[in-house]
Amino acid sequence: MKQNQPPQWIIHFFTWICKEELLDAVLGDLLELYERRVKHVGQHRANWLFLWNVLCFLQPFAMKKLEGQTHLNNYGMFKNHIKTSFRSIRKNAWFSGINIVGLAISMSVGLLMIIFLSELYSFDQFHEHKDHLYRVTTKVEGSRGFKVGTSSYYIGQQLQEGVAGVEKVLVLRNDLTADLKIDEHAIAVKGYYATASFFEVFSFELLKGNPASALSNPGSIVLTQSTANKLFGEENPLGKTMTVEGNQDFQTGIITGVIADPPVNSHIDFDVLAAMKTVENSPVPRRRGFKNDPEDCWSSYVYLVLSERADFANIEAAMEGFMETFNARWDDTNFTHSLQPLSTFVTDPSYRNLPGPTFAQSKIYIMAGLTLVVLLSACFNYTNLSFARALRRFKEIGVRKVNGAGRFQIFSQFITEAVIMSLIALIIGFLLFILIKPRFLELGNPTTSSHPMFSLDITGPALLYFIAFALIIGVAAGLLPALLLSKLKANALFGEVSRVKVFTGMSLRKVLSVFQFTLAIGLIMFAVVVHKQYQYVMDYDLGFETENIIQMEVDEQYLDLLTNEFDKLPEVMETSRSSGLIGLTGRGGFAIALDRSDTITFMLNNIDGNYLPMHGLEIIAGSGFTTSLKEGQGLNYVVVDEQFLKALNLGSPEESIGRQVWHQRDEDVKMRIIGVVKDFVKVPLNQMNSEPMVFMQKARSKYYRSKKWFLNVKIQGVEVLATINKLADIYEKIDPLHPFQAKFYDDQLAQNYSQYRATYEITSFLALLAISISSFGLLGMAVFNTESRMKEISIRKVLGAGIGNLSTLLSKGFIGLMLFSGLVAIPLTYYLVITYVLNEFAYRTNIGPVEIMSGLIMVLLIGLLTIGWHIRLAIIQNPADILRKE
Amino acid sequence: MKGTHLGEFEELVLLTVGILSDDAYGLGITDELEKQTGRNVTISAVHKSLVRLEEKGYLKSHMGGATESRGGRAKKLYVLTGSGQAALKHTKELRNNMWQQIPNVVWDKGTL
Repeated sequence: MKQNQPPQWIIHFFTWICKEELLDAVLGDLLELYERRVKHVGQHRANWLFLWNVLCFLQPFAMKKLEGQTHLNNYGMFKNHIKTSFRSIRKNAWFSGINIVGLAISMSVGLLMIIFLSELYSFDQFHEHKDHLYRVTTKVEGSRGFKVGTSSYYIGQQLQEGVAGVEKVLVLRNDLTADLKIDEHAIAVKGYYATASFFEVFSFELLKGNPASALSNPGSIVLTQSTANKLFGEENPLGKTMTVEGNQDFQTGIITGVIADPPVNSHIDFDVLAAMKTVENSPVPRRRGFKNDPEDCWSSYVYLVLSERADFANIEAAMEGFMETFNARWDDTNFTHSLQPLSTFVTDPSYRNLPGPTFAQSKIYIMAGLTLVVLLSACFNYTNLSFARALRRFKEIGVRKVNGAGRFQIFSQFITEAVIMSLIALIIGFLLFILIKPRFLELGNPTTSSHPMFSLDITGPALLYFIAFALIIGVAAGLLPALLLSKLKANALFGEVSRVKVFTGMSLRKVLSVFQFTLAIGLIMFAVVVHKQYQYVMDYDLGFETENIIQMEVDEQYLDLLTNEFDKLPEVMETSRSSGLIGLTGRGGFAIALDRSDTITFMLNNIDGNYLPMHGLEIIAGSGFTTSLKEGQGLNYVVVDEQFLKALNLGSPEESIGRQVWHQRDEDVKMRIIGVVKDFVKVPLNQMNSEPMVFMQKARSKYYRSKKWFLNVKIQGVEVLATINKLADIYEKIDPLHPFQAKFYDDQLAQNYSQYRATYEITSFLALLAISISSFGLLGMAVFNTESRMKEISIRKVLGAGIGNLSTLLSKGFIGLMLFSGLVAIPLTYYLVITYVLNEFAYRTNIGPVEIMSGLIMVLLIGLLTIGWHIRLAIIQNPADILRKE
Repeated sequence: MKGTHLGEFEELVLLTVGILSDDAYGLGITDELEKQTGRNVTISAVHKSLVRLEEKGYLKSHMGGATESRGGRAKKLYVLTGSGQAALKHTKELRNNMWQQIPNVVWDKGTL
């Protein structure tokens, strides 16, 4: 019998809303209908139809009347509150406008934050094992320790072979790039080699194919839906054989599955997956060795699903055990593995080598904190202005009280009013949010990668959050005035306005104002300093030339052809090739002194003869490379920088020419120094540790495993766009497969500092909000101040006070507040900006008096303008008009 | 009493109540209406008309006995009142009257 019942809550709901006299008849009918439907269409559908029927009855004829004492007790009162609220909002349009606008702008940021946070915390939540999913990370201890998000296949395998608590292990290798070809279609793809457990560990949806076997055999390829569409259109790709080019591990692959595109809120993104067995069976011998090499921990991600009661300490200890013999081989290097839970995959940026972008937890706190502060500030404003306006409403409250309104009624009236205002503000705030969203989206995506981290799309639940948010803000804003005003005694309200107790709240309001000014001053100062540092970094002399240099990544096979074609263009002044880009990307290496007394790490760049002169790197001893170099001849010649000499104690640049050091490889190689370049800035200026630089000849690229080279093209600075178009035309003719992605060196370098740019843009925006909110608050105070002192002003005027006297009288209190705020804000901001921004930079701008005073002066200026405007009104008024009323 | 005008749907409901005579309740009327007209009739519409027709005085109602199959809820049974019957008759006469005034030549033309 029970299972033939519709959900109880619907029945309860209906009982609640339906008229007493109709209830039995209608509900009886609906239940009868329901029973009939269960037999015909099943319980599930019947439930929906039942709900639909109930909703159809939400019409006046069937619903309880909302009015009157019997049903909804407070409805009448509530209705009256809404009515009076609208009246008072309209009557005090000016005040309400200020309040609503103030709330709206702060809310727009709040809305942004809500969507932003809900997107950030939705990351990877679609995985079934999200609560038990971990990644094995690696920490390399030693003189220059660092942490990476990758670990080794070896450790994954060891964990698989029986560590208590480890249920499933997945290993991904991130070095899968290939050009997939079928018939004449071809595209370049990136992705991962994955072990067969991929679909057990992750919950990406496999649209076609068998999850158990899709990644089991060498050469198996799983395409994402969009990749499959590009290659096959509507056709079913399952079982098709593809030609794989530009990949050393396999030449043909077979499509064993189609997977849904990874959603935006996935920490990894890919176009294809291929079976890990493909690498194991690679024809290239050194590719095959990775399985048992604990040191191969730069390109494999190991994901674990742990059991409910897994013991972390135990697992980490086990991993330490597996690494023991390996670590014993080194003197000062120690590899330790630890577990990183899924919840921090995108919020912990302390690891290098991550598969996708991150957004630091600390930044989230700062942003959420600032948003909260701006919101609070707007609420304070409301409080402030409500007090000011309350002057005119004493009589109204008094009459209500005399007529028997209790404290609660007055209280709820003011709360209702605040909530209505905040709902109106929500609408405006929402529109503002839509306006600022695209700008924020540019800033919010902390990478240049094609896979954006945030979309900031407005979803259904988000709208509900918004409304809840507006309600909370409304209550928060209205709480204080509602409490204080409802407390007043009726007889006090009809007496002399200034004697009313509420004005003892003055000191509270001063505190609120100081808070707002402090915030505004601090934010302005912060933004100014960050901006100055950003400019400083952008204008910094790096020690090499970057102007008009365009860089593009080029496949090795097209390198010569492209260089030849480019050189033919009259607009192209020079070209050079390199494996890395100084200040942007590079590889590292280990160098050992010839007597093996010292080991250092360095940055390595394989270059051709043109590279050094083209970038204006100054050679202070010896020589650079010659352009044409025969294979095998002088291949171990290197050019180093001054820092390298210092690090290995090789003496002065002149002395060091011709000296040799070991380059640590599978088998150590001797490098002979033939030239020394002057020190230059080789890492982004916000990174403290710059490593010594070694330039090697391009021809000695035996250990450079990638087939991608950078082609650097210096062009004439006129008609730049036309030149780039010409380059693109040539490129696309020679290599139609890989997209032409040329970038200016300067732009690329600027990308290094984009987070600081984002910081100052966000803080300037918040500063703007803070300053407008605080000046609204100031205005309210000024209005309040002058209105309650109108008689005093008039009398002073009659007695001969001049404009100057009166202005001083009315504004000196505010100026005092602002100066006091400055006193609080400046040292605090100074400390914050030094600790959190400037300390990140090895090269710092200096903070002068202009930057220090900027916030205070700005606030003083805007503040005085605001109150000045209102004080003027008070001063030009005819004193007789006011005094006559007595 | 509200206005005495009888809408088309109300007329149909009233007729159905007449047809079902002693067992005219919400769902029964809905079923019968669907059967007679072939239209899709929603139960809320029927109840709405019943309430209105009762207000107009064309119907009166009493609660039937509770049954187990309806979750223990009683049926509300409707019967035509005198004025209800009068209203139906009036509508029918009005229609008949108007029918007869259509000249035969209209029918002879056939449909367009």
